[in-house]
Amino acid sequence: MAEQKFERGTNLSIFVSDRREDIGALIFALVIAIGVVFFVGN
Amino acid sequence: MIYTKKSPALLIMGLVVLLWGWLNQSGNLDGVQGWLHKSTYAEHVKAQDKFTAEVSAAAEKAAAEGKPAPQLSPPKSKFNDLKAEQANYSFIFGGIATLLGLGILAWRPREGHLDYYLSIFPGIAYLIFIAFVVRWGLDPLFAGWGKAAQPTLGWDFAKIFNLNYVVLGILIGILIVNVFRIPDWAANGVRTARFFLKTGVILLGTLYSAAELAQLGALSVVMIGIFVLGSVWLVLIMGKRMRAENSMTAVLSAGMGVCGVSATVAASPVVNAKAAEIAYTIGTILVWGVACMFIFPTIGHLLGMGPVQFGAWAGTGILNSAQVAGAALAFDPHGIETLKVAEIFNITRVLFLPLIVLWLAAWYVKHEVGAQKVNLGQVLVAKFPVFVLGFILMFALSTLGVFSPAGHYQGKYFSGEQVKQDKLLGDKDLRALETELVRLSGPEGTQALADHFTAKAVNIGQRHAAPADALQGLQDLIANRKMTSRDQDGVLVATAKLPGLEAGAKGAIEKASKAAWHSSKTIAAFREWLAWLFAIGLIGLGMQITVKSLKQAGGKPLIIGGVVGTLKAVGSLIVVLLFVREFI
Repeated sequence: MAEQKFERGTNLSIFVSDRREDIGALIFALVIAIGVVFFVGN
Repeated sequence: MIYTKKSPALLIMGLVVLLWGWLNQSGNLDGVQGWLHKSTYAEHVKAQDKFTAEVSAAAEKAAAEGKPAPQLSPPKSKFNDLKAEQANYSFIFGGIATLLGLGILAWRPREGHLDYYLSIFPGIAYLIFIAFVVRWGLDPLFAGWGKAAQPTLGWDFAKIFNLNYVVLGILIGILIVNVFRIPDWAANGVRTARFFLKTGVILLGTLYSAAELAQLGALSVVMIGIFVLGSVWLVLIMGKRMRAENSMTAVLSAGMGVCGVSATVAASPVVNAKAAEIAYTIGTILVWGVACMFIFPTIGHLLGMGPVQFGAWAGTGILNSAQVAGAALAFDPHGIETLKVAEIFNITRVLFLPLIVLWLAAWYVKHEVGAQKVNLGQVLVAKFPVFVLGFILMFALSTLGVFSPAGHYQGKYFSGEQVKQDKLLGDKDLRALETELVRLSGPEGTQALADHFTAKAVNIGQRHAAPADALQGLQDLIANRKMTSRDQDGVLVATAKLPGLEAGAKGAIEKASKAAWHSSKTIAAFREWLAWLFAIGLIGLGMQITVKSLKQAGGKPLIIGGVVGTLKAVGSLIVVLLFVREFI
């Protein structure tokens, strides 16, 4: 990975900043949680 | 720059996985699956043979009476469930990958957002594909080899070295990046590994109860407070003694004390750290973290630690969030309890970040001649890891009952109303209970119950359980043929362990308790998502551990890091073994 050149993001992330990655992860986690509640229920 | 590479790899992976799903569903892989899951398959064959005998006996009896043969439902089979699960996942993944793979081959990419975001899918599919191979193939294979070699070696090498899907996935990632290389078409998607790990940590917030979080939180604040502040202080002292640069010492102390890479990055602007110093620190943390990720679970198993003890130790002693998750899952790959404990410690440590950055800023200004003042508030707001707040948000929503009712969080919940008709106690059970009720109502029985409850510290809510509670519970159980409340269940399950209790009565209580506890489908689904998110993220993490990045470590930072890291790991292990007890 270290040799790879990316115009966007970093070697460790597709996001331009940690903050964006965190917010993206939060949104994805909420989508999964809502999906689980909606499709699986209790 | 065009990111999407025209490659048939995604299409091929999709078709291979679709084939796997079809072979599982059609039963053509029963031989392979039976070989991989020997004990599950043996149970399945035994249950099938028994069922076949029951069907033919019932058919013969019905024929003799001139009635039509009864329709019997086949027994539940873990082996069939396992195959069905693999088939379902294969169809979902294979279908999506095949369609996307065809789309990528047909599409002519143009520079822009669509090209960038589409280009991550082959890499994500690559990680998921490896996760399938490891979880469905290598994990049971190594488990089988470990058991087979046990009589010769005297120990289960797969268990002791934690050769489960987590460790194997990370090792495969390390092997791919260092021996082969990450294919160009997958390079962009492999960079999503940290995103998946963060999503996993945030989603984990749904699985804690308020009481559990309070209990673990109090313990973690004490442990992390001592060891984080102690490590930062020790690095600062050693850095001064060894005459390392102040900025180097400061970033290393943040990395060794708080949470590895993100703390290093957060602390770097306030101490004016140079790029080379950040690289040295990250290299040191990486070397230390990777070693701990493999060594900690083995030591944990050898010392017979439980989930709370190991989670507390890993969460305190290992530096980087991803490696804490890796070690916790390597220790306990099929449960979530160790991961839950370890992540609370990890998150508590991240919450110490603002305090440490303030301390380091003050320390740097005091020790560095001509140090420029930095806007601390801006640095803290800009660098604080928001995913920790995401975890807290998910916990808050979960506590409000948004995702599943209270009491479901551990995966099982009590409900007397949901006990099925065929699970109610039979007449034989009731007779056994009635006999024991009469015996326990006498002076000797009451005294035995009182002594037993005192010895086992049995409680109902905030008070100690009394013999009257057990007698009332038994009367209610006989009247209703099922458990009706959690308190009744608790006191009767404790009563079932009373020495000398008749086996029939004991069996009846256990049967009634088992019937009243149900699995929460929501929590099971959350756990399944977590297992896959962490598996994918950790395989990607392995692909980021290159020899080149490890070589960044060296010189004074490695010596200081090694000494402080060892002291922290050994010190926290001693504290955990002496003072932390299992309570979940």
